[in-house]
Amino acid sequence: MKQTENLSAALPPTNPAAPLPPKPLTAKTLPDDEFFFGHKGCAGCGGALVVRQTLKVLGPHVICALPAGCMSAVGFNFPQLSFANNAMITPFAATASVLSGIEAGLRAQGIKPEDCTVVGFAGDGGTADIGLQALSGAIDRNDDILYICYDNEAYMNTGIQKSSLTPFGAKTTTTPAGAHVHGCLTRKKNMFQIVAAHDIPYAATASIGYLNDFIKKVQKAATIHGTRYIHVIAPCPTGWGTREDETIDLAKEVADCGLWYLAEFEGSQLCGMPGGKYIVNRRPKEFSSVEAYLRRQGRFKQLDENDVQEVIRERDIAWAWLDDLATGAK
Amino acid sequence: MGEGINGLAFPSFGPERRGAPMRAFTKLSTKTIGDRSAVSLADYVVYLDDTLLGEDWESELKPGGVVLVNSARVFENPQVIALDANGISQEVLGRPIPNTVFLGALSVLMGDEVLPEESLREAIRLYMPAKLHESNFAIVDEARRVTEELVAEKGESAKVATSAEEAQAEAAPAEAAQAGGGCAPEASAPAPPEQNALSPESYAHNTCFEAGYLVAKNAGWRNIRPVIDPEACTGCLQCYLYCPDGTIYKTEHDPNREIPRLAGQLPFSETHKTPAANEHAVAPVAVDYDFCKGCGICAKVCRFNAITMEPESDFGAGQEVR
Repeated sequence: MKQTENLSAALPPTNPAAPLPPKPLTAKTLPDDEFFFGHKGCAGCGGALVVRQTLKVLGPHVICALPAGCMSAVGFNFPQLSFANNAMITPFAATASVLSGIEAGLRAQGIKPEDCTVVGFAGDGGTADIGLQALSGAIDRNDDILYICYDNEAYMNTGIQKSSLTPFGAKTTTTPAGAHVHGCLTRKKNMFQIVAAHDIPYAATASIGYLNDFIKKVQKAATIHGTRYIHVIAPCPTGWGTREDETIDLAKEVADCGLWYLAEFEGSQLCGMPGGKYIVNRRPKEFSSVEAYLRRQGRFKQLDENDVQEVIRERDIAWAWLDDLATGAK
Repeated sequence: MGEGINGLAFPSFGPERRGAPMRAFTKLSTKTIGDRSAVSLADYVVYLDDTLLGEDWESELKPGGVVLVNSARVFENPQVIALDANGISQEVLGRPIPNTVFLGALSVLMGDEVLPEESLREAIRLYMPAKLHESNFAIVDEARRVTEELVAEKGESAKVATSAEEAQAEAAPAEAAQAGGGCAPEASAPAPPEQNALSPESYAHNTCFEAGYLVAKNAGWRNIRPVIDPEACTGCLQCYLYCPDGTIYKTEHDPNREIPRLAGQLPFSETHKTPAANEHAVAPVAVDYDFCKGCGICAKVCRFNAITMEPESDFGAGQEVR
């Protein structure tokens, strides 16, 4: 028998102590407190917005851990700290393990505040490449942690190298664009499906372009016990070759043109259905132009018509698959 | 180097990102250069953005040294040579990349003995892709022409009295993003931590919830700033919601309201009142200009056109020097 079953049986399905507001937080009702402030991220940084809003939702007793990546590089500036809550840096591969340890340690000492969420912020490389096995292990044990992957689609901290979440066709320093090869040849790994395949209690995809949706998902995650995973698209003006003020616009457009979807997965522990349940939060009636989304970014400059058609073809496959899952017709 | 001169060049920056001000140093000497430390007194200081040229500029300059600044303004001080490098580059390349302009200008000031024009062209051929050669030659030509005129105007005082035999150094406070990031005035050096801040006792306290915070100002990054029109602002708070740096805050229409970081809990908030600039016309939100990086997201997400991005130079940045 797997340990998971023992643990999840011992835990109530939701955390009654977690603040469960009557309705989703909005700009008007979010607390004024800023917990991630004075950081050294680039102007227009999408990842910084993810951290800022998550911490505002989770409140002062949140404890966060960050592996190597932009957010740890720009947030911890010895002897100062850009976090007003407890925060620490983990080894690159160990985000989820460190989260497990923090949570277990607080519980063992009997000092875990009731409204305390242990949250990790890892980038796409730190999640889909380097930290994947630690994350898988944490989900397997169903440790009571929230894992947030802020996805800017390459290793931006070290100067834009390809990760397994870099999309097809994107130019990075390790997938340079030339006359024959136009950029990244591999496809974006589907982390949402990978964590859902673990039957994780809760997983969601989000985009900072639809911040209210993201905030709602963080709120929801805070009320759930067990491992939770949120994958949020956070554009990087530096690595994507776009202007600083376009970050939000791009994050909206990637969901509008269908290259990213906003969805949720509720595991069997949460929804009571074997195999869990998929929910599509936003299905554009008509997708906006994929080409327009790609062409406005420096990293896709060299794509030709065939490449764009390939991206569209794969988008349609991904949506067909998601729709099947969401309607239970698999 | 080509001229029998030894050279050493290196930058200095911390964890800050694109658009942050940074410094780079170049040393030239006929002898082997053993000292790898930063330059504290320079023959030439090049400012790639005029908002970086602050009050203390003379302290980094050797007596008789020259400041070169990327600015369309005219400076009376004979030690300050202003070149509209963005303009020159924009004309030739279609993009404001100022560095080659200053290379051309330095070749005039330093003279053929140290930096002959031909070596400069050779360097362009060596280090730039072929398609950029002609345009950069054109930039150098224009920079040299303008600099020669300026030197003639300002007289010989603009030439630093150095010869190739002397060791010379130049420091170049530059911006990290020469190719297109928003850059900004020089950040004031981080305030030294308080005397006891690093003692194990207080440091342990500093790093946990009650006191931890980055308090060194960040705003050196900005060269445009968001300005809120209180008439047009409806208080929809989208700018507050989407600001990646948390620098937009609700005023509740009270000009004296403290910026609510974690109000009352942090030493920082004591010294941090609502900026005086907002005292007369109070919109439902205000910008903390000490930390705003000028990314412009707030102006983009505002559906009521209540936020405009205005050049930092209109607000006095880099205006101390005449």
